[in-house]
Amino acid sequence: MRPVLLNSCARAATAAEARFRIDAPIVPSRGARVFALDGPAEEIVRRIAARPWATARFFGHAGDGRVRPLVGVSTVDISAELDGADVAVLVATSPDGARAAAAVGEHCRARGTMTAGLVVDGGAGALDAVAMLRPYARVLLLTGDEDDIAAVLTALRA
Amino acid sequence: MLTSELNELLTRTGPDTAMGQLFRRYWLPALLAEELPEPDSPPVRVKLLSERLIAFRDSHGRYGLMDEFCAHRGASLWFGRVAEGGLRCAYHGWKYDVTGQCVEVPSEPDNSSFCSNVKLRSYPLVRVGDILWAYLGEPENQPPLPEFEFVHVPAEQTFTSKRWQESNWLQALEGGIDSSHVSWLHSGQLKTDPLFKGAKGNQYNLSDFKPFFEVAESPGGLFVGARRNAEDGHYYWRITPWVMPSFTVVPPRGDHPVHGHFWVPIDDENCWVYTFDYHPVRALTAQERQAMMDGFGVHSENIPGTYRPVQNKDNDYLMDRATQRSGENFSGVRGIAIQDASLQESMGPIVDRSKERLVPADSGIIKARQKLRRAAVALRDHGTPPPGTEPEHQRVRSAAVVLPRHESFIESCRDAVSVRPGVRQSSV
Repeated sequence: MRPVLLNSCARAATAAEARFRIDAPIVPSRGARVFALDGPAEEIVRRIAARPWATARFFGHAGDGRVRPLVGVSTVDISAELDGADVAVLVATSPDGARAAAAVGEHCRARGTMTAGLVVDGGAGALDAVAMLRPYARVLLLTGDEDDIAAVLTALRA
Repeated sequence: MLTSELNELLTRTGPDTAMGQLFRRYWLPALLAEELPEPDSPPVRVKLLSERLIAFRDSHGRYGLMDEFCAHRGASLWFGRVAEGGLRCAYHGWKYDVTGQCVEVPSEPDNSSFCSNVKLRSYPLVRVGDILWAYLGEPENQPPLPEFEFVHVPAEQTFTSKRWQESNWLQALEGGIDSSHVSWLHSGQLKTDPLFKGAKGNQYNLSDFKPFFEVAESPGGLFVGARRNAEDGHYYWRITPWVMPSFTVVPPRGDHPVHGHFWVPIDDENCWVYTFDYHPVRALTAQERQAMMDGFGVHSENIPGTYRPVQNKDNDYLMDRATQRSGENFSGVRGIAIQDASLQESMGPIVDRSKERLVPADSGIIKARQKLRRAAVALRDHGTPPPGTEPEHQRVRSAAVVLPRHESFIESCRDAVSVRPGVRQSSV
């Protein structure tokens, strides 16, 4: 059958026809888990965590490949924290967090959780941090601008 | 997702907008050189960044680009006559030179100086390669002429086409930064298109539908690396440069010519797509050039005498469900350019990014928006010149390479993504 109405052909891509798009609210992400993998990364993540987010949860590093909430000292069960998460965001400034990256990355691989690595280029260790994250992060962004982390989380509706 | 305010900021390019001011810091493709082929060619209407202009070439071969409408009564100068060193309005004979200066008002006395006080706003228009480039900004901010490699190789090594896209410029550009759609939307063409098929790299594309992405900043924009599995211990990398505001180069395939795009806002709901193919070290073959003219590769077949594609929104892009079912064309739309255009135009004239549901694989797009926003705001608030205007920012190449798994494309491909005259592109 040939289309006969305006809205049944590609000509419907007009601003006027856009009024008829369903305007249901977009649900937020089921959850982003943001892991700071080293000390400077944790400072950055703390600043970002202070902004309002829908469902994102933020973690610092405890050494030995373990992670902990930004507030508090007790470590957390990474696997349990990934329950219901759409994405794990790994933030690094250097390769110092290799063990934590591996721990989070392996859990994500086992659970099929999407991973994104954000390396804030604070100096010579940035490319090493990229190499550290490459096995675990499906997407890697090397940036000189820490605000990119917030931009990514915003875009993901975290 | 973007807020509505940010979406407005990034998509509006008229004279009084932040993004419009950003675009006015660059040389932009305004016409193909073929549109003004010789002195005294008929004038051409040009709409650029929401400004209606007229382009012409005077008797001495000089190019002019100025306000479309005569200062006298506002008649379009498109009806004018180009002769004797200027463009004369068809209504009352007022005549302008290529700078927009009125040089004759026939109704005035012979010794009148009236016309010396009449000048239309005009912009520089220069030919570099097959393109006439316009600069719509303030003269004191005019950057060096474009240095993109495709306009500086010998003429026999390059080909540029142009098509009208009925959407805002940004959603078109974002398609050029987004590598993840290639394995889906364009999968049929990797096997059949004469300007794509046969490259070993195509096999990597078609055997790994879940690429990993790495995004790194460059002085003029970004490099977006898409990584797929290759032979044991190796990755296949496709590296796409984006130079601000709207220039991208597609990673090459085998020894095929290298292609890319320049997206130029006509107004907020339309853009020109300038599409080029070039080879850094050899002439294009007759078959390659013919394929480009026929709309293969990333070019389009246009309605004769126009730059509107034969496949367009008025005919549902000649969608063919049979080729969709067979897989010859994944979407049923023929040709890479129109496959992209059909989907980008279907989003609406200006897509509402407050309704998006992006995923991490869209990080290149997210970062590009971030860079555009920062540059537009820095220019608006502090007068900071944006990236992408310097010649070295523009001397970039795309690349397609196989690297050992431990190597970083950023470090290993520094030479591959730089213009090296006389050196072949890095391609698999």
